[in-house]
Amino acid sequence: ATTWNASLWGKRRAFTEHMEKLSELVAQKSNGEFQIKLHYGAALSKNRENLDGISIGAFEMAQFCAGYHRDKNPTITVLELPFLGVTTLEQEIKLSNAVYSHPATQKDLARWNAKLLMPSPMPQYNVAGTGAAPTSLADFDGMRIRATGGIGQAFKTVGAVPTSVTSSEAYNALESGVVDSVAFAPHAHLAFRTVDIAKWWTTNLNPGTVNCPIVANIDSFEALSDENKEILMSSIPEALDHYLAKYGEVYDKWGPVLEENGVQKIDFPQAEIDAFRESAATPAREAWIKDMEAKGVPAQELYDLVVKTLNE
Amino acid sequence: MTPFEIGLLFSGLLVVLVLIGVRVAFAAALIGLFGLITIQAQRLGFDKGLLVAIKLAGTIPHSKSTTYALSLIPTFILIGYLAYYAGLTKSLFEAAKRWVGWLPGGLGVATVFATAGFAAVSGASVATSAVFARIAIPEMLKVGYDKAFAAGVVAAGGTLASLIPPSAILVIYAIIVEQSVGQLLLAGFLPGAVSALIYAGIVIGLAKWRKDLGPPVGGFTWRQRFESLPGAMPIFAVVAIIIYCIYFGWGTPTEAGALGAFVVLVMAVWKGMRWGELKGALMESAKLTVMIFTIIWGVLLYVRFLGFAGLPETFAEWIAGLDQPRIVTLLMILAAYAILGMFMDAIGMLLLTLPVVYPAVIALGYDPIWFGIIVVKMAELCLITPPIGLNCFVVAGVRPDISVQDVFKGASPFFIADVLTVAVLIAFPEIVLWLPNKIAGG
Amino acid sequence: MASTTVRTDDSLLSKADRQIFRVESTLNLMAGLVVFTLMILAVAQIVGRKVFNLPIPGFIDWVEQFMVVFAFLGVAYCQRLGGHIRMDILIGRVRGRPLWLAEVVGVLLMMIAVGALVYGSYLHFERALTIGDSTIDIALPTWPAKLMVPVALGLLWLRLLVQLIGYGRAFINGEEIPIAVPMIEDAAAVAKREAEEAMGLSLDELEGRGKDPDGGDKDKGARS
Ligand code: NA
Ligand code: NA
Repeated sequence: ATTWNASLWGKRRAFTEHMEKLSELVAQKSNGEFQIKLHYGAALSKNRENLDGISIGAFEMAQFCAGYHRDKNPTITVLELPFLGVTTLEQEIKLSNAVYSHPATQKDLARWNAKLLMPSPMPQYNVAGTGAAPTSLADFDGMRIRATGGIGQAFKTVGAVPTSVTSSEAYNALESGVVDSVAFAPHAHLAFRTVDIAKWWTTNLNPGTVNCPIVANIDSFEALSDENKEILMSSIPEALDHYLAKYGEVYDKWGPVLEENGVQKIDFPQAEIDAFRESAATPAREAWIKDMEAKGVPAQELYDLVVKTLNE
Repeated sequence: MTPFEIGLLFSGLLVVLVLIGVRVAFAAALIGLFGLITIQAQRLGFDKGLLVAIKLAGTIPHSKSTTYALSLIPTFILIGYLAYYAGLTKSLFEAAKRWVGWLPGGLGVATVFATAGFAAVSGASVATSAVFARIAIPEMLKVGYDKAFAAGVVAAGGTLASLIPPSAILVIYAIIVEQSVGQLLLAGFLPGAVSALIYAGIVIGLAKWRKDLGPPVGGFTWRQRFESLPGAMPIFAVVAIIIYCIYFGWGTPTEAGALGAFVVLVMAVWKGMRWGELKGALMESAKLTVMIFTIIWGVLLYVRFLGFAGLPETFAEWIAGLDQPRIVTLLMILAAYAILGMFMDAIGMLLLTLPVVYPAVIALGYDPIWFGIIVVKMAELCLITPPIGLNCFVVAGVRPDISVQDVFKGASPFFIADVLTVAVLIAFPEIVLWLPNKIAGG
Repeated sequence: MASTTVRTDDSLLSKADRQIFRVESTLNLMAGLVVFTLMILAVAQIVGRKVFNLPIPGFIDWVEQFMVVFAFLGVAYCQRLGGHIRMDILIGRVRGRPLWLAEVVGVLLMMIAVGALVYGSYLHFERALTIGDSTIDIALPTWPAKLMVPVALGLLWLRLLVQLIGYGRAFINGEEIPIAVPMIEDAAAVAKREAEEAMGLSLDELEGRGKDPDGGDKDKGARS
């Protein structure tokens, strides 16, 4: 029998449901001959070191987010550029798969001895805040926002002030006024309870999100029997369907939670969003391409691939 | 052998290494390393397994030490030194004496309140006892206090420093079990106050029961009382600054701690602290800091091995599956801590046991923040119990005329007080949870 | 500043001990200064944000990178002074050869662990340098911080080597007080020293009594 260990952090949640399903399917189809054991709570590795663990061969599978360490996985960060125009998780999956199968991306991850298996599609970030609700972009001027990396940079272009606060301190920081607003994916707003004190909530900014793939150790993958390889790869679509269903349940909870907490939903007019995209997306993209080309990453090609896939 | 059996075997070996005096951090690191080698060698063969285990172990010191929340620890250590130079200790005791000295055992009560106040700027129990052994014991002996009693009050009062924030040990607990540092620090306030009140109650009760233990000292006018306040004010100022800072959005708890330390630094410099003393304080803070970080990553290396062995989950399942009321299980765990605490250092004990005990307690359905306060209280208990209750040795060390046995004897009523406090906290968990819920919204 | 008893003489071993101690002390002071700077930075962060709406960009990233200084650089210094905690309830009861043998075994075990970690943490650094790694917010490279770990642990390994020789010599020659190693102290002496260190000065000084510069008078109390 073959047993794989998978390194995950946090508790079991929608974000890990594809792994749960994959583990279940693989065991079922192989009659228990191939097992994937899930280790939650960063028991095998801290999330920022999951790629190191894969590279070492300490475990066979892991989940990580590209934005935790841009220089470990420069190619994937194309998926974290602000304002790509993604609105659904299905689009997120399609884009991720396209980028994951590009040779440059595979070469990038092969440096860690890692094979990209599937994404953990994340919804677009939303901004939740206290104080007066922003109705136009100008209202972001001077607003202290908890947003890291590229999304933080994007908000900087409209005058907001990105502020360093850990996610576990976000609630405290928002309540006390250390920050005026927090940019998280919706489930993180739930998990870190920022929705409990937010007065408002942006619905349609769609500024971007993080990309969190599942990878396997290449040697371990190659060592699988052809049958097990087939079992593993053929189970991925069903695992992702299950993931989407579970995320749907999170969304079902979502509306009522906002309602219950009296959080005002802010719809920005399309013109404002276009203006934001213009001011943030273009410079961010250009800087990213320049930076990446300098590192030998075919950045323009990857970006064009994203645009093409999105328009398909 | 299954990984679980390997986990048990190596955990036993760790106890042996610690008992024969191998430094705890490195004993844990070594066992973690050997454990990982054994597990990986079973999977991959010896040569490959050895290399994988060493590479894996090599990621841990850096990975585990560079966690933002841990950055508070050295600041909390430094603040204790600075408070001493700022002259905060003497003025606190003086004020407490004038206000509550008239009670039976009044100076003892004053000592309890002064140590509680000092706890608000000191992160270390042993240091607090040392400082007050020099300030409070002579005054108590002067008015005819029983030696053992006076020493016991000081040894016990010192333990409050770890409960009342800032507290290094609470930060360490938060990191190990991945809970909010801010919430744990807030959770310590009220139990610290309750603990101080119970101590004071015990002092008053004992002094009433046996008149020769400690007579009251009266005769302070209201004017004298109010005159004593400005000297003690800085402590309250620091506490107020920290709470205000968090509550009104000046900073996160992490930053508030640093601000508190900075305020005390300014006072210390104002009171005449110069580079020589500051350098000494920095050297000692750095040494204590590296000791704590080493034990953290050393133990976490062992914890990583346990993770691969799957020991904590299995133990948690077993504990949760026990066919007895959960309170019985909890009391058994606490009793084990009380016994272990007699022989171990508080931080070492928590680091070594929490990885296995914590998941089990959580599986029983107890609150993580609440358990943190309970377990830190248990760890503090071990500072006043023989044979190696560090606080008692400190007091005896500062006062050569008082034997260690006398201090242990004098501290024994406070052991009962601590058991009482833990019982109160178990019966009324709101005492722990009210403040963090109030400020962090539940 | 209080220090644990470490006997010195004119031997090569003692010279090496003191040379290394100089390096260790400098690194430990650097760690202390970083703690101090961090405190000042946090205050600057609060003031900057509250008063000028100018938080320090990537504050958390910077702190995490600099933490490695106080988490590691003093590790050998601490070992020189016997500061890493241990349980001496058993080892505190033996003297002479059996004690030096126990110390030799303890130091050897530490050398195995530290040696493996020097190699492992070097590889961790090397991956960050050659493949690439950066922080979450402002993408600082992480390799300089990761390099600190094998450097500090390498120095600790050297320190352990000195102590191994010190204890080994004592075992072979049956010495009463060995060179270049921290002396084991009974619980009372440890407690007193910790109390002194907690205040950065000697209690004896405060009591107006003299202080033996080598602390040789501290061996009193429970064990005798
Ligand atoms: Na404290
Ligand atoms: Na004890």
